[in-house]
Formats: sequence, structure tokens, C-alpha cells
Amino acid sequence: MSGILEVDRVSIAFGGLKAVSDFHLSLPKGALHGLIGPNGAGKTTLFNMLTGVYKPDQGTVALEGRRIDGWAPHRIAAAGLARTFQNIRLFKELTVLDNVRVATHARTRVTVVGALLRSLAWTGEEAAVTESAEQLLGLFDLASRAHEQAGNLPYGDQRRLEIARALALRPSVLLLDEPAAGMNPQEKIELRRLIQRVRDEFGLTVLLIEHDMGLVMDICENITVLDHGVVIAVGTPHEVQRDPAVVEAYLGTGH
Amino acid sequence: MSTADPLALRSHALRAPVGLAALRSLGPWAAVFAIAFVLERLIGPYLPGYYAKVLTDVGIAIVLGVSLNLVNGFTGQFSIGHAGFMAVGGYVAGTVTYYGHHLLWGGIAKQGGFLGASEWLFVAGALAGGIAAGLAGYLVGLPSLRLRGDYLAIVTLGFGEILRVIIQRTDDVLFVPKDIEAASFTTLATSVGGALGFTGIPFLTNLFWVAVAVGAVLVLSYRLKHSDEGRGFLAIREDEVAAEAMGVPTTRLKVRAFVYAAFFAGIAGALFAHEVGTTLNPRELGFQKSFEIVIMVVLGGMGSISGTTLAAIVLTVLPELLREFAQYRMIAYALLLIGMMLLRPQGLFGIHEIWDLSFRRKKAAP
Repeated sequence: MSGILEVDRVSIAFGGLKAVSDFHLSLPKGALHGLIGPNGAGKTTLFNMLTGVYKPDQGTVALEGRRIDGWAPHRIAAAGLARTFQNIRLFKELTVLDNVRVATHARTRVTVVGALLRSLAWTGEEAAVTESAEQLLGLFDLASRAHEQAGNLPYGDQRRLEIARALALRPSVLLLDEPAAGMNPQEKIELRRLIQRVRDEFGLTVLLIEHDMGLVMDICENITVLDHGVVIAVGTPHEVQRDPAVVEAYLGTGH
Repeated sequence: MSTADPLALRSHALRAPVGLAALRSLGPWAAVFAIAFVLERLIGPYLPGYYAKVLTDVGIAIVLGVSLNLVNGFTGQFSIGHAGFMAVGGYVAGTVTYYGHHLLWGGIAKQGGFLGASEWLFVAGALAGGIAAGLAGYLVGLPSLRLRGDYLAIVTLGFGEILRVIIQRTDDVLFVPKDIEAASFTTLATSVGGALGFTGIPFLTNLFWVAVAVGAVLVLSYRLKHSDEGRGFLAIREDEVAAEAMGVPTTRLKVRAFVYAAFFAGIAGALFAHEVGTTLNPRELGFQKSFEIVIMVVLGGMGSISGTTLAAIVLTVLPELLREFAQYRMIAYALLLIGMMLLRPQGLFGIHEIWDLSFRRKKAAP
């Protein structure tokens, strides 16, 4: 059987450096999968390959049975693979609402001509876009801030907004790149609930890069461990924690 | 993705009543034509020629500034070749009206009065100029918009200079009726005056058509800003990588912004070419002109339609008031630009419209 996201023997090198080699991953629908590894292990590089920022040198990526490797990022996003960024990348000068509405671009059907004429079809679609964006903000407790500039939000809200924005694409798979970075313990607890809720309510499949081991071990059903671009372990949190190769990668030899 | 798109399903339910929608769609245009009519027919006749010319200059400046704002302001690219597109529009429109008048009516005398035959030929010429400029924008934009930042500036600058040299190499304007009738289309299109300028273009620009062009660029760019595609433009400006990751086809939208802007620059060029007291020549539409338009956008606000409009008005009227210091204008512009970059890089109004500001202050107060 094949999963919703199938990554097969994907590799990329920058100059002489093999950043990721022979990466394999198969995510069944609804999975919450963790991707961990020391700094520089190639986690974000992998995300960039999956989302089309980099083109893999070798290997294939398939989303819902469709090959997407080599596609432009906006096409991949429209096909249902959404992401957040390690260093938050909101549209800072746009309002919170517009940040979310940008992500509906791929789903709107009325052309710019309709928008310039303010046609009936356009007004209907624009109202629908706004309504669905507002609903999404409501789910993330951001509705009251809809008309504020995104750059002025507190840090935790910005992280949530980034997830909300990604969900506006109506993705089938969501890639979260260190969503807990810079959060305090209280915010992390809320984030954990949020990720689980998002997965359940939106029927999503989630791939999570995270350095906070407590969070990863807690919510992920399975974990892939990457070191120097190579998968060194795959398994449940329990299995991975005991894996000698993982212990060595994190703590060095001699333990 | 699921087959039923929730947006499509909802959009039918959310449509406004037809009457209201029609009013919103057509109302602004009715207002534009009404204002244009009042300006030309009721105010125009009492306006001394000098003021009418300044008003025309202001209108052309607004069309140029607001259109460049689509590229430099909304989309965050940096084009400094706007005068080049203006030249394309001006020369194409001028060729259509000048030789058109000769071929149709045997001379450049205006046919018909307000909204008469000559004016419709002018409209056709201006649209042809706009389309030609838009096409030029597409050809310049397609390869260069894959590049970022400075490279685009260099390409647009180069485009303007190449165009200037090409125009300088064109032949003298034909004015003997039988030469014009005997000439081929290519000969006519390349007999546009060279370095001396395209003289003899009929003076068809009036306050009506200037106001219509200004109204069109304002209404259309406002609607664009508040639409799906406009939000895509702004997202590209804010963060191109994130925009792409959110499903915005960044290269396509950048090229489109460039084409829209070039189209309106072409229209502005057509208005300029047919204005009383201007000569269409390659010197006039060089780098310096492009630079003036960039200043309007930078000063008024990168992304602010009303801010750019205000800056276009001020930067056109001010030099008229300070005629004796004319030679220091470029120095003043340079200082202004440096000052803005240091103190307020987003421009006076940034992304906001003038009417947003009072609203924001109210919200911030409690």
C-alpha cells in the first residue's frame, strides 16, 4: 500500500557536500511523524526539497500518488503540501486576515478581469475567501486580531498565524519546521494541543521537525532520525530513544 | 484535494444583490466620466492655458506614478525604466494619429469637436501605445523577473537606454502628403523624427482624456490592490519564498505587474505625445524621467495609491512654483531620496492609503 506522502531515495548535494542522501519516508494518511536530528543534519534541507525550493538530485516525491518532485513550489503548495518556516516568514506588513487570504490564491477561480470589473462572481468569491479566512482565524484565537499588522503580533501568535496561513491552502500534508522554537513551556503545551487538534479536525498528515524532545516524543507516533543527511533510525519514540546510533549522534561516542 | 471546493460552493451564496453589485462595479466609472466631462466642458473653457497644461502634467504624472507603484510599490521589484515604456506608448500612439490623420484626412487638422473623429483616433492610438508598451513590458519582464532586486533595475535601465538609441536612429518625420501615401507601413513606423523628436503630432490631449486615464489607473489599481492578485503582489514584496510556499505563482505575478504598469506608462506616453507644448523626443524620455517617477513612488509610499498620487501632484506642481531653481531640481530629488531612505524607507504612507491613517489612530488610542 502507498501512503499519502511517499519519499523515495531522495538525495541532494551542494558542491561536494551530500546534504541528504537516500532519504526514505512513507506517511500513511493521518500520521503525525517526527523528524529529528542534530543541527545541520539536513532536516530543513529535506523540507525544502519536499516543497520544491530545492530540486532533489535523485529520488522521487509523491503526494497522494502523484509525482511532485521538480515542480515549482507554488504548484506543490496548491497540490496540498503546506509548510511553516523555522524562522517565521509572515507577510509582516499585511494584516493578519490578508496573510491567510494570500494562501487561498491557488484555489480562487475568478480571474483578475473579474476582480477589475468587480463582477458578481468575484464579489461572491471574495466574500467566501474572507469568510473562510475568518473562520480559520477563529479556530486559532486570532479573530480579534484580524485587522492588525501581522508583524505586530506577539511571538506565539505569529507562530499560530503561520500554521493558520498554511492551513488556508487546504493541504493534505502539513510540514512544521520547529514550531516550538522560542516558545515558553506554557506556549508549548498549547502548541501540542493545537497540532493534535489540527491533525484531527482537518484530517491532516503532519511531518514535524522539532528540537524539543519532550514535545516530539509526546505527540509523534513515529520518528525518523537524521544525522549528516542519512537516516540513522526510524521507529516509535520508545524505540528511537534506545537506539545506540541515535544516542551516539546526539551525545557522541563513549556513552 | 477533495473534489468539492468549499470556496466555490460558498461563493454563490454570498453574492450581493445584483443592483448593488452593478452600482459598485460601474459607479466609479460613471464618476470618472462625470468628473472628466465637468473638467473639460465646464471648467476647461475658463482655465488659462498655463493652468490647463499644469493640470495635464499632473494627470500624466499620476498615471505614471500610480502605475509604477504596481511594480516598485506593490510587488517590491525595482524598475527604473518606466520612461522607456512611456516612450513606446508615445511613439506608437503618435505614429497612429500623425500618419492616420494624414492618410485619412490629408493633414493634421483636428476632425470634429469634443469626442469627434480625431479624438477617437487618438483613443485608438493611445490604446495601441498602451498595448505595445505592455508587450514590451512582457518581453523585458519575462527573462529578467526571474532575477531579483538589482538585476531587474539594471535590465530596465538598459532597456530604456537601448530604446533611446533606437529612436535616435529613426528617419525624419514625413510631411509631404504624396510621400506619406506612397510609403509602406514599415517606412511610416520608422519615420518618427530621430534625435530631433517627433514633431507635428496633433494636439489631441485634453483634460477629458487625461482625467479618464487618471480615473482608470486609480480605480483599477485600487481594485487590484484589494483582490486576490493584488494580495499576491504584496505577498511577493513581503517575502517571495513564503509567497511561493503559499501557492502564489510569483514569477507569473511579477511579470503581470510589470505588464500592467507598462501598459499605463504607454497610455501616459500617448497623453504626453499629444500634449500642447511638448515634443516627443528621446532625450525627454530618458533615465532622468524614469528617476522622477521612481521618486514619486518612493516619496508617496511603496504600495500606497493615494500617497503616490499626492507625491505626483506635489512633484509636478512644486517645480512650476520654483521655476528659477529649476537647475537644482535633480540635486533636490537626490537629497530627498537619501533622506527618505534614512528616515522613512517605506515612504510617507508606506503601504497604507491616506484615509487609513486616521482610522488606525482611533483604534490605537484606547
